[in-house]
Amino acid sequence: MAPVLPLVLPLQPRVRLAQGLWLLSWLLALAGGLALLYSGHLLAQLWLLRTFLAPSCPFAALPQVALAAGLGALGTGLVGAGASRASLDAAQYPPWRKVLGPLLVLGTAGGGGLLILALGLALALPGSLDAGLEDGLGTALAHYKDTEVPGHCHAKRLLDELQLRHHCCGRHGYKDWFGIHRIQSNVEGLYLIDGVPFSCCNPHSPRPCLQSRLSEPHAHPLFDPRQPNLNLWAQGCHGVLLQHLQDLASVLGGGLAVTFLLQILVLLGLRYLQTALEGVEGVIDAEGDTQGYLFPSGLKDMLKTAWRQGGVAHRPAPEEAPPEEAPPKEGLPEA
Amino acid sequence: MALLKVKFDQMKRVKLAQGLWLMNWLSVLAGIVIFSLGLFLKIELRKRSEVMNNSESHFVPNSLIGMGVLSCVFNSLAGKICYDALDPAKYAKWKPWLKPYLAVCVLFNIALLLVTLCCFLMRGSLESTLAHGLKNGMKYYRDTDTPGRCFMKKTIDMLQIEFKCCGNNGFRDWFEIQWISNRYLDFSSKEVKDRIKSNVDGRYLVDGVPFSCCNPSSPRPCIQYQLTNNSAHYSYDHQTEELNLWVNGCRVALLNYYSSLMNSMGAVALLVWLFEVTITIGLRYLHTALESVSNPEDPECESEGWLLEKSVSETWKAFLESLKKLGKSNQVEAEGADAGQAPEAG
Repeated sequence: MAPVLPLVLPLQPRVRLAQGLWLLSWLLALAGGLALLYSGHLLAQLWLLRTFLAPSCPFAALPQVALAAGLGALGTGLVGAGASRASLDAAQYPPWRKVLGPLLVLGTAGGGGLLILALGLALALPGSLDAGLEDGLGTALAHYKDTEVPGHCHAKRLLDELQLRHHCCGRHGYKDWFGIHRIQSNVEGLYLIDGVPFSCCNPHSPRPCLQSRLSEPHAHPLFDPRQPNLNLWAQGCHGVLLQHLQDLASVLGGGLAVTFLLQILVLLGLRYLQTALEGVEGVIDAEGDTQGYLFPSGLKDMLKTAWRQGGVAHRPAPEEAPPEEAPPKEGLPEA
Repeated sequence: MALLKVKFDQMKRVKLAQGLWLMNWLSVLAGIVIFSLGLFLKIELRKRSEVMNNSESHFVPNSLIGMGVLSCVFNSLAGKICYDALDPAKYAKWKPWLKPYLAVCVLFNIALLLVTLCCFLMRGSLESTLAHGLKNGMKYYRDTDTPGRCFMKKTIDMLQIEFKCCGNNGFRDWFEIQWISNRYLDFSSKEVKDRIKSNVDGRYLVDGVPFSCCNPSSPRPCIQYQLTNNSAHYSYDHQTEELNLWVNGCRVALLNYYSSLMNSMGAVALLVWLFEVTITIGLRYLHTALESVSNPEDPECESEGWLLEKSVSETWKAFLESLKKLGKSNQVEAEGADAGQAPEAG
């Protein structure tokens, strides 16, 4: 039963390990906290833009999972800091001995799993934003004039505020506004006009904004086509919003990757510290060498032991239980 | 008859010194906060100096910055003194400096209170600066090809969009100035020629506003031109229409913004001032308690601390006496010098 990846740890390296682990744990807690705050920020941005993202777009799952993953990382960091601090003090370590095993399992499975899921989502989901924004913006544009229809009465205000804040016009350009039945007239029914709303106007233009009759070449006689067209915002809102959200998602993904790395390091360090201290029966200042390891035996041996243990539990317990079949010190769920 | 005497034993003195040390370092943080508040206000005023004629007074942010720096310096010094106060050897070197230092602290507290009051009172000067600045800004709105003024259009437009306001006092201010440059007027058109002829100064005035006055919450597309002509637009009455354009004037909007900013800064500065006064009083008690240790060889003995050695009126009289003596001693010296010179001359 050879231990997996053993490491000899005399007293001094053990102390160094504990101190380094304490520092890494606080870094992990910081990274987890920052990931938490940033995913909160992303959630807030998505909530503000909810009218322009189709409800079928799964992008909102990313900040929610990242929130949970950040919490997990924060918790792991705090536990690691506490455990490594306690491992340097003989009086504080005994209560940690019992809880450290299950906590490590929770950290690996729960925290690690959530982080991997969040990273996966950060890579996969931004692709779905394209279609979601296309649908959402299209709906908002179509409902711009429906200020009297319950359920869509805010589309005009929200779209105007979006164009004013993000400096964009229409979906892909100002011509999108020509195809929309923007004004409802009681006399003639719906009709098309080649004009744009005031929110498309660019304040950097040297002349007062030209909003109407934009496709008529002679409507505005003093318009100089050689000058760069500063009259309206040139970008479409689709491109601007896509870039904005993708940037947020990539920063979040980067942060999650760093957190994941730190989490692996902290969990490994804690495992080695725990097994090394088990080797000296929990006596902190023991001078001798001990061995820290990842797993007490190979995977096959562990499964065999777990199977045998399960079998022993179902049979009536014989008095002469052979010592080889005694469960390993760390308990069952180490796989 | 000392003022507000308190008995101190060794334990109490130590506790006082430790407490003061902590409070001084907290006060250094508070000084940093005041410094950053002053810096923030300065940046905000600078951002909009174009609509304030570049003549706004920076007295309040500058004094907040100065007070923040001074507070950091004084309080870190006081922290060091309190730390050394527990060790008689180290304290001996601070002893001669403490009385003048306390006087300086009192002056600093008075100055901080004055600055706090200024925060609340600056509104009046800002109002007149804003009125003039906005008026000029609107006048230069159309001068987008005049160097030095070409950014005024962008500034006013962004201001009206951000602060949700229109014009100086209201949107009618735009009716009184020509905000469309002659460059973009078609002088061959009859309508333009008529309008210019009908105006005494030959200006092209319209009953219209720039696009930045439009309110996105309006249920109908923004009506910018022919605002006083009800028949030009379907179902429109300019007397009762409220949602079409922003109703507030930019002067009021900006004034409210800066007033709320300075009021909250004033409130924070007031809290910091109260904290500083507490520290000064504590330091005075520590000073007098350590002074009145009757037996320097026995650190365990009791002592008394007070704010003033005699009552307020007696202290004031003594202060005036010392001032008079200072004056008289100068006179005596001068007379002595004259008398000394006279027999020499004679």
